[in-house]
Amino acid sequence: MNAIIPDTLAGALILSIIDFFLSFVIIAGIGVVLAFFPLLNRFASAEDKHGHKHSHGKKHVHGHGHSALPAAASVTPAGNAADQHVAAISAAVAVVVGPHKIVQIERAN
Amino acid sequence: MFETLLPFFQAMLDQTGLVHFTFGNFVMCVLGCVMIYLAITKHFEPLLLIGIGFSCIVANIPGPPDVPGGPAVSALLYVVKEGGLFHFAFEGVGKLIIPPLIFLGVGAMTDFGPMIANPKLVLLGAGAHLGIFVALIFAKMLGFTMNEAGAIGIIGGADGPMAIFVTMKLAPHLLGPISVAAYSYMALMPLIQPPIMRLLTTKEERQIGMAQSRKVSKLEKIAFPIVIAIVVNLFFPPVAPLITMLMLGNLFKECGVVDRLAKTAAGGLINVIIMILTVAIGSTMAADKFLTVQTIQIVVLGLVAFAFGTASGVVTAKIMNLFLKTKINPLIGSAGIASVPIAARVSHIVAEQENPNNLLIYHAMGPNLAGVFGTAISGGILLALLGAA
Repeated sequence: MNAIIPDTLAGALILSIIDFFLSFVIIAGIGVVLAFFPLLNRFASAEDKHGHKHSHGKKHVHGHGHSALPAAASVTPAGNAADQHVAAISAAVAVVVGPHKIVQIERAN
Repeated sequence: MFETLLPFFQAMLDQTGLVHFTFGNFVMCVLGCVMIYLAITKHFEPLLLIGIGFSCIVANIPGPPDVPGGPAVSALLYVVKEGGLFHFAFEGVGKLIIPPLIFLGVGAMTDFGPMIANPKLVLLGAGAHLGIFVALIFAKMLGFTMNEAGAIGIIGGADGPMAIFVTMKLAPHLLGPISVAAYSYMALMPLIQPPIMRLLTTKEERQIGMAQSRKVSKLEKIAFPIVIAIVVNLFFPPVAPLITMLMLGNLFKECGVVDRLAKTAAGGLINVIIMILTVAIGSTMAADKFLTVQTIQIVVLGLVAFAFGTASGVVTAKIMNLFLKTKINPLIGSAGIASVPIAARVSHIVAEQENPNNLLIYHAMGPNLAGVFGTAISGGILLALLGAA
């Protein structure tokens, strides 16, 4: 080991002062890096817009940008699904997979 | 007849631990029972204290000597010595395998959103580490070497794996008392911190409410572990093994495509590690090694470190309030001492006692998580300056 600090009380004081203030500087540096993190969201939203434009451009060729989303047959409750929940479940499904989708609700086996 | 049987019974008695049981063993057994009591009735970090307390009791029940006329050997030592069940637990701690694995699990359990959402609060993660240096200076005054003083000081970081890591690099012979002090005080933070927090704040300050933080996107949460891993490996190679594993665990959690790995790291793996670690720590608490003046000094210095760390965190928050337009509740300053999430919970509870509608837990998690990095940075600088990197 090559200790830079002497093994004395004065050394302990010097070590403590250097370490404490350096910790502040470095933590502040991490804080500055974190302050720039919201910029990532701007890049992401710009990328999203670009992606949407791209998929809309392809819409006329392939029919729809999100062709992998599931489509099913009916909103009529099947099995024991409570009638009063169907509207809420349908709304939730519409939010997640988008409008104009037909979903069948049934008991899982 | 009786004279014939007497040596026989004497020989049998010598094979038990009864004749070797000392007052020190009794004290340590009581200490172990107190730990288990606090864990069960007060819920003080039961995950840690149950294992440590139990193995502390067993480590102090002496068995027969290994060699005739030699010192009594605890039955527990048979499972931790070479070839024993927990031999590799000990090796895992000694060879610094366990601490990085704990950090992997902690990373997989932790949401760094509160820290990313409010970057200015990360300063509290540095402010609450004055205790490390106060303990270091006091330890030097008591005659410890610089390396020993550094290892004792790191107790004030309130980060168990980091305390083990730094101790093994600087003063491995002090692993037992330092890890016991670090983990015990972490468990006792709900008792240690509140009086200091109340002493340093006014009722009005404790009632300051904090606005809801911004929502942190998934992209930010994925970028965070990658950016921090690069920064830490670049600037702090001495503590990179720990922080790298912390960030890997967090990336498992946040990326959303390796749920199995995240669940294992945060569940099964860390549970096994906790069992191993607590037994390894508890088994170092044999009375002949633990009840020494040096250990008592370390335990007292650990308490000093925790107290000063808590106080400096609160004072740092109050200093920040002098410059901030929107004031922060100074109670979250004490959470900068690390010990995730115990310190954040303490801040929340103390604020809630003043105003039941003031929910500080999310805000306190920011400095609490920054405290982990604060301890790592302080430890890294310590190792570099003491030539142990």
